Formats: sequence, structure tokens, C-alpha cells
Amino acid sequence: MLSAMKGAYMLRTSIFSLALLSLVAAGPADDFESRVTEFKLANGLPVLVYTDSSAPVVTVAVAYKVGSNYEPAGKTGLSHMLEHMTFQHSDMYKPGEFFRTIQANGGMNNGFTSGYYTAYFEVFSREKWELGMKIEASRMGRCVFLESDFASEHQVVAEEQRLSENSPSRVFWTQLTAAALLAHPARNPTVGWADDVAHFTADAVRDWYRYYYSPSNALLVVAGDIRPDEVRAKAKQYFGKYKAQPVSLPDFYNTEPRQVGERRMVVHKVVTQPSMAIAYHAPGILDSAFFASVVAGGVLGQGRGSRLYQRLVVDSGLATSASAYAESERDPGLFWVSVTPKAESLIPRIERIVYAEIGRLGQEPITDRELQRVKNQVIADYIYSRDAIMWMAIILGSYQLTQGSWREFKLYPEKIGRVTAAEVQSFCRGFLTADNRTVGTLLPIAQEEK
Amino acid sequence: MRELDCTLQIRRNRLTRAIIAACAICGLASALPPYRDTLPNGLAVVSYVDHRLPMTDIAFVCRSGSASDPEGKWGLANGTVTLMTRGTKTMTADSIASIVEFLGARFNGYAGNDNSMISLRVLAKDLATGLDLLTDAVRNPGFEVKEVERARAEGMAAVREMSDYPLARVMVDFYQTIFPGHPYAHQAIGDTVSLRTITREDLIAFRKNHYVPNNCFIVAVGDFDRPELLKMIQARFGDMTRGTVPEVKAPDMPFPGKLRVKLIDRPDMNQTYIMFGHPGIAHSDSDRLATNLAAHILGGGALASRIGDAVREEAGLAYEVRTVFDQDRLRGAFWAWVQTAKPKEAIAIMFREIERMQKDGAKKNELDDAQNYFAGSYPIRFSSNQGKLHEAINIELYQLGLDWVDKYPGKIRALTLDEVNRAARERLHPGHYVMVVMGNVKKEDLGLSDVEWIE
Repeated sequence: MLSAMKGAYMLRTSIFSLALLSLVAAGPADDFESRVTEFKLANGLPVLVYTDSSAPVVTVAVAYKVGSNYEPAGKTGLSHMLEHMTFQHSDMYKPGEFFRTIQANGGMNNGFTSGYYTAYFEVFSREKWELGMKIEASRMGRCVFLESDFASEHQVVAEEQRLSENSPSRVFWTQLTAAALLAHPARNPTVGWADDVAHFTADAVRDWYRYYYSPSNALLVVAGDIRPDEVRAKAKQYFGKYKAQPVSLPDFYNTEPRQVGERRMVVHKVVTQPSMAIAYHAPGILDSAFFASVVAGGVLGQGRGSRLYQRLVVDSGLATSASAYAESERDPGLFWVSVTPKAESLIPRIERIVYAEIGRLGQEPITDRELQRVKNQVIADYIYSRDAIMWMAIILGSYQLTQGSWREFKLYPEKIGRVTAAEVQSFCRGFLTADNRTVGTLLPIAQEEK
Repeated sequence: MRELDCTLQIRRNRLTRAIIAACAICGLASALPPYRDTLPNGLAVVSYVDHRLPMTDIAFVCRSGSASDPEGKWGLANGTVTLMTRGTKTMTADSIASIVEFLGARFNGYAGNDNSMISLRVLAKDLATGLDLLTDAVRNPGFEVKEVERARAEGMAAVREMSDYPLARVMVDFYQTIFPGHPYAHQAIGDTVSLRTITREDLIAFRKNHYVPNNCFIVAVGDFDRPELLKMIQARFGDMTRGTVPEVKAPDMPFPGKLRVKLIDRPDMNQTYIMFGHPGIAHSDSDRLATNLAAHILGGGALASRIGDAVREEAGLAYEVRTVFDQDRLRGAFWAWVQTAKPKEAIAIMFREIERMQKDGAKKNELDDAQNYFAGSYPIRFSSNQGKLHEAINIELYQLGLDWVDKYPGKIRALTLDEVNRAARERLHPGHYVMVVMGNVKKEDLGLSDVEWIE
């Protein structure tokens, strides 16, 4: 253990001594899998239960396999609009009652929409957990879509979208994503494009709901101080009444055409701090090369010790931050490099350094220490991510829906652990190429006017 | 439906409180009680043992934050604690980062209004190493010139990024306008002028004057043996010597005689960002809990409050609308904010609801719901190490006493409608607002009368 002290309290350490540290998280045997129970109701609703009784708290989460990826042209943002509407009115709650009911029972809740799924959750103390089941069952099959409810919520969503439009960084990332992806629906913002949102109708939202919000297209996850048999009984009671309904889910895995040349784009907004980012097409989670892309992101741009931070911030002083990471998406997605330049004029030099470092990553194998650093971080993150019991329902649900199994949560550090330096090199040579990148800059409007 | 998470990073203390107001700070016998030990030199150690996962969170907290920044040196407390994690007398910032990153640990320094904190998250097997890093940062920071300049450039970029973000810009202007000359008027990260003036000597002096054991405490949560941890802490911090810490002086903050409004013209925006309020309460205020309940009923969020119902649910005027009483060591602000394409309508409703709450108070059923929420959601706060850490820091920082976790639900439930309504009556001052408005909007578009415009 490294704790050698020099003098009173000065740390004496060296890179060498660190290499002797154990490389895998020690501690009690990992009991993660034994905490999970999996079953399915007769109507096709899959159920996951994660038991952790260390705090008297239970999270009930339901996710539906529908999100912004499934929205046709002209209807972007419809899943998100539906998410809003499901908080409005059902056989159990009328407008204004949903949140009040939860708070009056000491609970918390939220909902969110992503590319492939829409999720909702409530967190209650153990004695109130059944209320979460009642609420989610009501949301699944008993929502009402009245024109009067729709009108005001439609305006709320429009205001939410304006918030995005007035955030320079949000506009930059949204438009850069759309420039990098030509065909995959992930190019559309989850909240939708403004004109699409303006034309939503209550009927369209209701149709979307009726098609996608069925038990066989959903996942129920209950996590916390709860036994599987309790969940099974209540799941049958509250969700068993709904009939299975076939849902056709399109596959976009191969949608995006191969990029055949660098793209460049500029966003001008009222800003004083320029930004830049580079997006490369990269493998999705289901591709074995994905795990090498995660390691490449770590070596290039995760933390002060990463190569880009060292070159751009520490050595040359051209930037104040630099990072890189691979998106964790089911389908082939994007590998991002982002830099905060000290000045706009430095961007060309920064770009050259980024490309040189990426080139080096493809030419020379990364060091054992760099590789191990990323692996250790992934192992540590796996443990840290289990800290908040209330988030375990969301984490397990996300793995189940995007990767096919909650077990992937635990397998993830193992898969990263098997990545070799040669695989990282191969990923960089194959994906981080000039023809495969989209380069974006966020610049002040004033610069344009001069 | 997501909350505006991005806004929550703007002013750490104030916004943490906005969240806490939403989550409720409360206590119940369900959580393990924390322990509090004190070293002979006055350094308190609050520990919460939890062997659930092989990880430990430790925070070294100094009771001096950005409110202790000397005049014009805004950002000094934050710069000091940031740089304490970036190099010591024997280790470079790169060496420290190398160890931290290799261990998969987290090691950061930052300041809020009332405190500065170095936080460490580490796997249990690496606890001793992490503690060594923390100790070295506290006791032997290097403040190397290159690191100082790097942090200055980073700070300048952060300030610029924040000012580019409309929500943050309005908030920064609001505090500068409502609290001129007050320790809470400036951002913890400073501004582009003040950051230029901070010298290495300033940083060294701030560390020396404020990081004394009687002005600091440690909170540890996670997988460790308490006696063993105390031994480790005693060995590392036991010979720190006490000191006299400079007091934070704050001028009295008068209520504006009438509505004072600062208008920032932004023709590029398609929404108007509004923040208004008046002087509020201090954390030590005897009416704090009653005021919290009243503020929650009034505008505790966009989704279940009077203002939320009226502005969002009924009129569809905004995604986010909220009212909050800051709770810092010194008296903070009562503030309300909204972002909307229809500022006149939203302002009118918010003014009306605040006035109604001040005049008529809450109803019994509203209070019942709010009390159930505050007291009933307590276990959620304690269902993670991070939650326990934050709660323990609050308890220690504001000297609430360890029994606070047991007393809190009872205190909340014991508050009567009369007490809550008296707090609303005395703490809300309709009309005596300072307001900052930013957007593509003219004075006459806001529907305001009898205004003193701040140019």
C-alpha cells in the first residue's frame, strides 16, 4: 500500500510504486448478480428486481421501448411530448395531481426520454412503495389525452425547447450531432426540432401512446428494500390486467452511410468563449471494437494525465480543457473530442495537435500503464455507480434495453479489462481518420460581423 | 420533464439548496447515526460507516468560502482550494493526477459561499493512499507558479462560459444587483477582472489563515473501520496548530423601497429570463423551517406548487419556475425565476401568488402535504454515500448537532399553520424586489409600474 510518509506529512511516491498496486478492486466478493431477480408476467411484461436493504427506500421504474429514434420526419420530439403528457391525466390522477400525490407521500419522481426508450421512476420509503406500482400501472394503460390538457403542456414543451435554443453550448452540440450523422435518427434532438414540436396534436400523441405503451413493449424494474415475491405479487395485481400488443420496432443499426470526407461546420452565437469539438463515427456497444474505443477515449482525453490534456493544456497552454470519449449507444454512434481553446485564433494549432496525437495512437501501442489506468477507472466507476440505490433501477433498465441484458452492467468492466493495446491501435487506425470526422466550432457572432 | 440540471452548477451552495429544498433535508431513525470525534487541536471528524460497497468518500471542509474573499480578490477561496489539489512541496500536479487517475479515484477542490472543500472518492483498498494525497494537499500545497497561471486561465474560461449561458448570466447579475458590496455578491469562481489580480502570495496567505483545525472538519462515509480511520487522521492532522480566522463582515442589506429592475437587451433570444427577489433569511434564522415550508408551498418547483400550477400547469407559460430562500451563514436572498416567451403574464402571476401567500398564507391541506414530503422523503437522502456525505457536511457546517437527524422530522411535523403563515407574512415582501430581466424585450413589454430602472 502506498502510504509512505516523508518528514511530517509529505507524500513520497513514484510511478514505479504504483505499478505494484493491486490492479483489480479488492473488497468483499461482488454480490451484484445475486441481488437481481428476473421474471416475466403472462402479458409479456418483463420484470427486474434489485434487492438492497441498506436503506428503507424503493424505486419503481418503468421504461418503454420508444424514443426519439423511432420518430418519423415531421414528428421529431413526439416521444418526449408524450412523456410530458403522461404526467397530466389518467384514471388515477387529474392535471396537477400527479406530483402532489407523490410529494404528499414523501416521494420523488421523474421521467426522461432517450433515443431508444422513455423511462419513469418514483422513489418512496419502503412502506409507500406500492404507490409507485399503482402510479406506473395507471400510466401504462389509463392515460387520457384531452385537448384542454394538451394545449398548455404543448406550450410548456415549446418553452423547454426555447431553453435549449438559448443555450449556446446546447445549440452547438445539437447541430454538430446533426452534421455528423446523415441518416441515423440520433441526429434529431430528443426534444424535437422546433417546427415539428409546433405542429404536434393531441391525437398524434394519443396514437403514439396507444401503439408503444403496452406491457410487452415495456420493462418494470424495482430496486431497493424489497423482496422479489412482493414485487411479483404487486406486478401481477397492477400490471397483469393489460393485454400484450405486438409492436414493430425498426432497426437503425446500419442506417448511417459510410462517411467519405471531412465535414466542417460553424455555429455563431452570442458567446465570449469559443469551443471546438470533433465527432468521429464509431462502433456501437454491440460491436467488440466498442470497448477499444472506450480505452482510446480514456487514454486520449479522460483526466489530466490524458494525452490531449497534457499536450493542449499542460505543455502548449493553447487550451483550458480537453477531453475525449466514446458514446455508449446501441447503434454505431460518435467518438467525441472536445477542447476549450484559450482563443479562437489558436484553433488551427489545436487541431493539428489533436490529429497528431490521434495519429500517434494509431501508430504506437499505448503503454501498459495507460491501458491499466483506464481499466482501473472503469472498475472503480462500476463500484461507484452502485452507490445510489435509487439509480440502480435506471442503470439496470438501461442495460437491459440497450444491450439486451442487465448482466452487461457487470460484464462491462470485464470486457474493458480484456482490451489490448493492439485493439486500441486498430480502432484508432480504422475510425479516427480524417475522412471520418466532422469538425465543429462555436464562435462569437461579433467575430462574424467584423 | 428533466429538471434544469445545468443550472444547478452555477452557484453551488444556492443551487444545492434549491435541490435540497426539493428533496427535503430531514431526519428519521432509519439511517445509521453518524459519529463525531474531535482531535485535541479542534479538528472535528464526522464518520458514517457503511460496508455495503468497497468505497469511501471523504471531504475535508474549511469553514471559509467565497464570502471570505478579500475585496476585489473574488475567486480567491476557490482558487486556493483548487490549487491545493494541484501540486505540493514534493509532488507535481501531474504526479498527483497520475496517482488519482490510476486508482480510479476522484480528487477535487472547490468553494461555495460559506465553505471550501477537498473531496476524495476512493476504493476502500486505496484509502490510505487517498488520505495521504488529501493530507499533503491540505498541509503542503505548492502553489507552483505554472499551476497558478493554468488555474487562472481555466477560471477565466469558466467565467466566460458561464456568462455565455443565459440562466447563469441572469443569476450572476441578480446577486450583484441585490447585494452590492456584500460577500455574497460575487461568484465563487470570481470574474475576469478579479482573477487577474490574484497572486501566489494571496493564495498562500488564504491557505495559511483559513486552513486551521478549529476552522475545518472532515467527513468520511463508506467502507472503513472508524477507530482505524481516526488513528490515520490523528497521525496526519493531529499536529496542525490552531489559528485565528478573519471574520466575514457583511453590510446590512436594505429592502428596496420599490421595484428596481435591470434590463439586459438580448435581441438574439426567443425567451425572456427573469430573476427577482429581496433579502431573505440566514441559515440560523429561528423561522428557517417554517419559511422553507411556506416557500415550498409557494414555489418549491414547477410541478407541485402554487406558482408552478399557475405558471406552468394552467397557463403553459414556462418549463421551469421556482421560488427559493437561500440559506447560508449570512442572510441570503429570497428569489424567484422563470424563463418564458410571455414575460408580462408570467411576472403578473408570480407577483400575485407571492402576495397571496404573504397576505393569506397557506391552507392546512397544503401544509400537511409539504410536511409529509419534507419528513417522508428523508430516507431517500440517506440511501447513498453521497447523500450521507452532503447531509453530514450540512449538519457540521451549520452546527445543527448530530441529533438533528432524529429531531428533524419532529420539528417539521410540529410546525403549525400559524407559524408557517407568520413566517410567510414576515419573510415575504411583495413589491420590494430587485429584478433582472434578459431577453428581446422592452421595458413596456413587462407590464411593470412604479419602477426604478437600473441602467
